[in-house]
Amino acid sequence: MQVREIGLYAVVFILAVIFVYPLYVLFLISFVPVTYTFGQIYPAQFPVALTLQNIITSFHTVSLVNPLIRSFEVALMVATLSLAMGIPAGYGLSKIKSGIANIIVVLLFFVNMMPGIVVAIPIAAEFIRVGLYDNLVGIALSQELVVLPLSVFIMLGGFRSIPKDLDNQARVDGAGLLTSLGRISIPLVVPAVIVTFLLSWMTSWDEFTYAVIISPGNPTFPVQLYNYVTRALPYEASAFALIVTIPVIILAAILQKYLKGEYLTGGLVG
Amino acid sequence: MNDADSFSTPDVDRRNGGIRKQFQWKETYTYFMFIVPALAYVIALSFYPAAEAVFGSFQTPTKHFVLSNYSAVVSMGLVTSVVDTVIVSIGALVIQFLLALAIATILTKKFVGKGAFSTLIILPFGVATVVSGFIFSIVFSAVGGYANSFLVSLGLHPVNWYSNRYSEMVIVMFSDSWKNTPLVALILLSGLTSLSPTLRESAMVDGAGPLRRFLYITAPNVKGTMAIAMMIRGVSEFNIFALPLILIGYHPILLTTLVYENYNLSSVTLYYSYAAAVFLLIFILVFSSVIIWAGGVKSYASS
Repeated sequence: MQVREIGLYAVVFILAVIFVYPLYVLFLISFVPVTYTFGQIYPAQFPVALTLQNIITSFHTVSLVNPLIRSFEVALMVATLSLAMGIPAGYGLSKIKSGIANIIVVLLFFVNMMPGIVVAIPIAAEFIRVGLYDNLVGIALSQELVVLPLSVFIMLGGFRSIPKDLDNQARVDGAGLLTSLGRISIPLVVPAVIVTFLLSWMTSWDEFTYAVIISPGNPTFPVQLYNYVTRALPYEASAFALIVTIPVIILAAILQKYLKGEYLTGGLVG
Repeated sequence: MNDADSFSTPDVDRRNGGIRKQFQWKETYTYFMFIVPALAYVIALSFYPAAEAVFGSFQTPTKHFVLSNYSAVVSMGLVTSVVDTVIVSIGALVIQFLLALAIATILTKKFVGKGAFSTLIILPFGVATVVSGFIFSIVFSAVGGYANSFLVSLGLHPVNWYSNRYSEMVIVMFSDSWKNTPLVALILLSGLTSLSPTLRESAMVDGAGPLRRFLYITAPNVKGTMAIAMMIRGVSEFNIFALPLILIGYHPILLTTLVYENYNLSSVTLYYSYAAAVFLLIFILVFSSVIIWAGGVKSYASS
């Protein structure tokens, strides 16, 4: 028994190191003086000295703020759109015959299987015509495709978990459909709403394919980071990477209790 | 008739005063109206553009029907890009599933520091793909790379990770797995926790070892969950784009990077990119059909 426990802790330790190491490297290249990182053929694995100089320098040389603001706005639009379409669709699907609902769910699932890059190029061609190319609204509209199916699944799962009698009782007591939805059903699915909003937000924050194709001239942060990497600006890139990673890590840690396999598979049951 | 229907009909009758009997607006239609925006959205912005790409792959800029777009992408190395895409996808899936299975199994056990462990494991899920690509480009860089620095500190020879296309693809697989294993682990964990512990215990009492317990008890019961995780990850794996673009550029070229390399809205190569895109589309449809057929994803969201 003793040996097995030691084995378990050894595996836990090794896995934890593997998963944390890349973030540790990001920390090193951001805070250790350049002479110990990029200046070496074999950079030091431990923080031999710490400095803020790298980050300060990169803030002086390039604009990090604008792409971040853009990403923030786009993510907000995407998350709002997810709720605006996901809540009604999830509610509607929970109310119709489950056979038909499942067909629609499968249809939405097919959208997730459409390769982003395949869909994005014709969209870009259309968006040039209607003036949404190189435009934040254009990015948000296209990125919504990535998150909408999942949002509908999550909301559907939420609405299905409400006992039918509650809604029916409200209707018997004279509440209209919208009143019942707003006063009874939605307050009961607040966790699903939060998960939908945050997952959509995070997905958009991370999304690269649509952003680089629809709006190369008005880049969000992932596209800008890609630009820095290809233009061989590693200090700027690392400062940028660090700034955007810290909030998302905090968010992921908070989200952890909501992150359940059932949500991520969109309520699909094997 | 479902519950909502039979319940609501009297309500509608009362409102309309029973005057219009020929056509009755059932409440089910109202519920359908709730779904319409989402459906219209995906048809307009996903299905329609996909069809446009398929048509575009057979067109010239002057809208003539041709097959030359396909011969153009074949001469650009379409065949190798298909092979490489398959290698990267399958390799990454294998790494992710082995790691995720280990993590999920560990998380079903009780041990000190479990909370901290699960938080650490979930972190990469929150890291942007582009950021992870950037970090791994530094880890595996030939000069000033942390992987080589580690090898040298162990007294081993440094490796030039960019010396051939196989090791380059390994970098991509590894970076992708780092970011996506947490997701797979979470999905598998939900399958493992739904498994009754008494099943495993009784198998243990009957003398089944760990391997046989896994093969005959655990694996058949998490098969559905596995298929779903495989489907979700497999499709994204074929679509892998930002990571190879940052880590290895266009050498070796994958299907997605081949599409992107030809993407130019004001040039004939736009139609080449459509042709490459069609291959990607076919690929993903074939893959998901195989998974659905083999994995037995029987019921969708049937609660």
